[in-house]
Amino acid sequence: MSDIDPILLSVYARAFRSITDEMSVSLQQTARSPILCEAKDFVTGIYDGEGNMLEQTENLPILAFSLAPVCKYILEYFGDDIHPGDVIFHNDVFSMGNQNNDVAVYKPIFFEDKLVAWSAAKGHQADIGGAVQGGYNPNAVEVWQEALRIPPVKVYEKGKLRKDVWDLIFANIRLDIVQEDMRAEIGSCTVGERRIIALLEKYGLDSFERHKEALFDATRKMMEAEIATIPNGVYEGSAPVYYDGRHEGSKFTIRVKITVEDNHVTFDYSDTDAETNGFVNGTYTSSASATLLTFLQMVNPDIPHNEGMIHPIDIVIPEGTILNASYPKATTYGNHLCPNNADAIIRALAPVIPDRITAGWNQLLCSLSTGQDDAKNDKYVDIFFMGMKGGSGAMKGTDGYDHIGMIDASGGVLDQDYEMFEQQTPHRLIKHELLCDSAGAGEWRGGLGVETVFEVGSEDTQVVTFGDGDFEPAFGLNGGGEGTLNIIKMTYPDGSEVVPKNKDLILEVPKGTIYYQQAGGGGGYGDPKARPRDLVAAEVRNGVISADVAKSVYGLDKVEAAD
Amino acid sequence: MTLKIGIDVGGTFTDFLVTREGADPQIFKTLSTPKDPSIGVINGLRDIADSMDPPQTLEELVAGVDTIVHGTTVTTNATLTSNGAKSGLITTDGVRDALEMRRGIREEQYNNRYTNVTPLVPRYLRQGVKGRLDRNGTEVEPLNLDDVRKAIEIFKAEDVQAVSICFMNAFANADHEQQAAELVRAELPDAYLTVSTDLLPSIRFYDRVSTTALNSYVGPILSHYLDQLMGRLGEIGFNGILLIMQSNGGVMSPEIARENAALTLLSGPAAGPGAGLVYARAHDQEKCIVVDMGGTSFEAALVVNSPIMVNEGDIARHRLALPMLGIHTIGAGGGSIGWIDEGGLLRMGPQSAGADPGPVSYQKGGTLPACTDADVVLGYLNPDFFAGGKMQLDVEAARKAIEEHVAKPLGMSIEEAAAGMYRVVCNNMAQGVREITIKRGFDPREFPMVVAGGAGPIHSCLICDELDIPFQIVPRESSILCAVGMLMSDLKHDFVRTFVARFDDMDWPRLQALIEDMRSEGEKLLIEERIGEDRREYFIKLDCRYQKQYHEVSFVVPSEAVANGDGDTIAGLFHAEHNRLYGYSLEDQGTPIEIINVRVQAVGTTDKPVYAEEEHAGPDPSAAQKGERSVYIPERKDFAVVPVYDGHALKRGNRITGPAMIEEVTTAIFVSESFDCVVDKFGSFALFRKDREDLVAGAL
Repeated sequence: MSDIDPILLSVYARAFRSITDEMSVSLQQTARSPILCEAKDFVTGIYDGEGNMLEQTENLPILAFSLAPVCKYILEYFGDDIHPGDVIFHNDVFSMGNQNNDVAVYKPIFFEDKLVAWSAAKGHQADIGGAVQGGYNPNAVEVWQEALRIPPVKVYEKGKLRKDVWDLIFANIRLDIVQEDMRAEIGSCTVGERRIIALLEKYGLDSFERHKEALFDATRKMMEAEIATIPNGVYEGSAPVYYDGRHEGSKFTIRVKITVEDNHVTFDYSDTDAETNGFVNGTYTSSASATLLTFLQMVNPDIPHNEGMIHPIDIVIPEGTILNASYPKATTYGNHLCPNNADAIIRALAPVIPDRITAGWNQLLCSLSTGQDDAKNDKYVDIFFMGMKGGSGAMKGTDGYDHIGMIDASGGVLDQDYEMFEQQTPHRLIKHELLCDSAGAGEWRGGLGVETVFEVGSEDTQVVTFGDGDFEPAFGLNGGGEGTLNIIKMTYPDGSEVVPKNKDLILEVPKGTIYYQQAGGGGGYGDPKARPRDLVAAEVRNGVISADVAKSVYGLDKVEAAD
Repeated sequence: MTLKIGIDVGGTFTDFLVTREGADPQIFKTLSTPKDPSIGVINGLRDIADSMDPPQTLEELVAGVDTIVHGTTVTTNATLTSNGAKSGLITTDGVRDALEMRRGIREEQYNNRYTNVTPLVPRYLRQGVKGRLDRNGTEVEPLNLDDVRKAIEIFKAEDVQAVSICFMNAFANADHEQQAAELVRAELPDAYLTVSTDLLPSIRFYDRVSTTALNSYVGPILSHYLDQLMGRLGEIGFNGILLIMQSNGGVMSPEIARENAALTLLSGPAAGPGAGLVYARAHDQEKCIVVDMGGTSFEAALVVNSPIMVNEGDIARHRLALPMLGIHTIGAGGGSIGWIDEGGLLRMGPQSAGADPGPVSYQKGGTLPACTDADVVLGYLNPDFFAGGKMQLDVEAARKAIEEHVAKPLGMSIEEAAAGMYRVVCNNMAQGVREITIKRGFDPREFPMVVAGGAGPIHSCLICDELDIPFQIVPRESSILCAVGMLMSDLKHDFVRTFVARFDDMDWPRLQALIEDMRSEGEKLLIEERIGEDRREYFIKLDCRYQKQYHEVSFVVPSEAVANGDGDTIAGLFHAEHNRLYGYSLEDQGTPIEIINVRVQAVGTTDKPVYAEEEHAGPDPSAAQKGERSVYIPERKDFAVVPVYDGHALKRGNRITGPAMIEEVTTAIFVSESFDCVVDKFGSFALFRKDREDLVAGAL
């Protein structure tokens, strides 16, 4: 450490963060797909010459830890055939990718003729080929039914566009905006490259290399200190996964064994159920990201996200399990196993660090509608973000957060603005409100879910659903109550009712159909009777707890009815 | 003798700038009186009257004042401390929770202890009413007036002070909102009323409902404050013009401020950027970066011909979708506390010692080392001449705190630790400047940096080094820049209409009609404000995007281009702005452009004080040298003895070679080894990098 200037170290840490933030702003502002610019389903990062993470801006945590492993894979793949001006695409889930639709761009950064760093961006693309637009194909059993596989491929070589390669890729993708959005990703990497080079010009390569190592060290120590506060031991937890999209009544179990040894922790999923014969399968990177993001919510939120943070953590997920599918299984649903994975981890650690974990979060149940907007003579695609976000779990001392949705986004995905929703789709919003009595009761209650209703505005509408949480509600802890279930149902103009399964594809939904959704509340924590009386009374008055529940569950004697 | 007075009410001090023709502007500061800020205003005016030669009574003073421009943070403080008015919201049935859910965001994703904000209107006072417009503004279901009456009954029973009305798709048709407003006015004549489409008739429901509710939240508070202020000014016979500062960098009459109270929410720092430009103009520059470092926060803004505007922002995590200056604030100030994180890295802020207990060296009970303490150890602050010697700083206490909390944990000397704190805080501020320049497509090296705030000019050289900025200007009035800016501000009124259309299928006459509408609204206000026709101007802006993009780019268009339906010219301007902001345009691909909003800003030019130019006194500064002392020289990573000049004695043309210190009563300036300094024609200190004498050729 003798050559380390501790002050310069702080300067580097701040500069790295500012670089990845700037990359993120660039991508968000220029992208077309609402998945990128409204839901911010992307991550930007910078890596050192060996592919170690220097910093990242995550937006959606589930993507957060998927870039570095691929960077290392790309280095191995191309060896010394990496040159200034190269731009590399990648999505392949069988070479460390996390989800087929999450297509990454990597740009090597050279300084004094040496490969010294990488900038990278990865976003969820609106289409990636395969059998179904958008990629969510509940009928898929193999990767080729889901997507075009892109192992590491140079689309620019030494600064020159490889037009043939570019055209080959985009000839296999339905939507033109994907080209634009990949250009936006490249632009974001260029922003990162410029800033890293400016930093190197200012401080020199030597200083950069030394201080980067010191920064990893500092971060590792922070993480080790956090782990050391958890008592040594082996802790086990499990959570169910309902329905593989193909076999009605199917159910699987995620099992995690967490071993804490001083300042090191291992998450071992060896006892998890085998992979499915559908698309409900994780990839190693998507599952490991889920593990990390859940654990990060239990430690100091200020720990920088770089290589040093990961160092004291091992994650073992055998190939062939539902969390790490073998080649060539379908895996598009894999990111959405995060809530289930999180539940298993929380259950395992709940007895050990009861003050630092939340009760169960509402799980994701999402829908997507596509069709023709006649008045605008244009196609529309809408992911129904506002409908899918339920409540978070409560923890000791803090209520759950209302309507921030599944733990893999943790409040990073925004609702469509209501008026923009009506501009961009032919649908008309009827209701989007907090759902009374949805929060798991407790001394600290769970976050509230929401109730959403809209009228379908196009004929022959296609509705895709994917998710869970319609069989088991979010669980409560230490006497706290459970949340409520997710529900989607559609009432057709002729009065018939269609209830999609939690992974489903419904065709020809007629205009005038009433779409109804409940996203459930999060689990509560502690005895509801210990909740301050004035808080319960205020919530009755505000109509988020009913008078009945206030009396029967919270034990409130006198209740003023809500209007 | 006519006086113009700028009054900036801050949390700790109320600043005054007094100007009159043919005399140097004068600075006054008095302690603020947060419970009723108008008392502090009167106290300050009394000080000013006393200082007149010969001394005057308050009444004699105000008789000679023709304009008072006033900046207030009463609305800001009410919002930041959740002390707004009790208000009710009438909105479309089914969407009453939008205000509370804030589109379902949790700003800190990994922090499960992070809770949502308290909604501006509690749920039981958010009343949904039946009645619906479609996306084009066509009525689908008539407004249910009984529902509105029911809501009003609840508001009466609950004794609300204010009411907001905001309906779905009202941006396209204000009928329902106006019907509801009529009932509210009849039934609740004393309530403060905000109708969303009167305040902000543009698309995006959450933005509109939040902005509307904010207006009602602070409206009664601002009204009450204006009553107090105007009452007190009336008592002493003030008969001139009173103008109120707004977040868009313009001013407005108190009558307009009353109705649109939310326009003042982010007005605190809004006068600074315009003032910065006045000082940059002394060097023939029409652009500048303006930074202001106070006790707890650092603000950075960009001026290109005029201060850069944004169309929305946030206050206390509530959306405020009104045009405002694009000022970036970070938690870095003299009070920022230095600490070591779990990984052993030195951090500065965002926790601040504030004014109470303040930095350790203030000897008011602070124990944690703040930025000011490092500045004292490094010699930048003179412990015997702080605030002109009114307050003694304790160097030893500062050294001890730095030793204990920073130097020992890092294994450094006290001086090294102080230098580290100095560097880290400067680096944080440099990142703040990046936010308003590089992130918006501007190169900071091309801008002079105007430095304000009591703590700004001892840190600015290092900020400039970090960003390769070769030129800084420290005005004489640097410590009260906002008060200066208030006297330099014009009357400004912003209007917006949503008009969704594609360029290749544009109804130009309709667009022109919308612009004419807004223009005449603006004209009406300016006439009310007694602005003559030759002083009225109108600027048109369009918010456009490439088809299927989600974010719009806002840019100024010449009025002839719209009037003539000159789509090519307007498209060209859009492509250029998109390219500047994001590094590319889609001009060659022929991607269609959509317009979403059209905006008009009506500007009424005010009379501004004219600064007298000082006499040229030659380059020799030696007459102003008052001593020398040892200060830290970042370039050498060591201390050296440098000359100390009395800033008040320095004259136009005096040239100072860095490193050197310049001291004034309200501010200290550190000229680092990389810079030299020359006093310009307004008496500002122009610091230029040693190899860039060309930048100040006119001043030398």
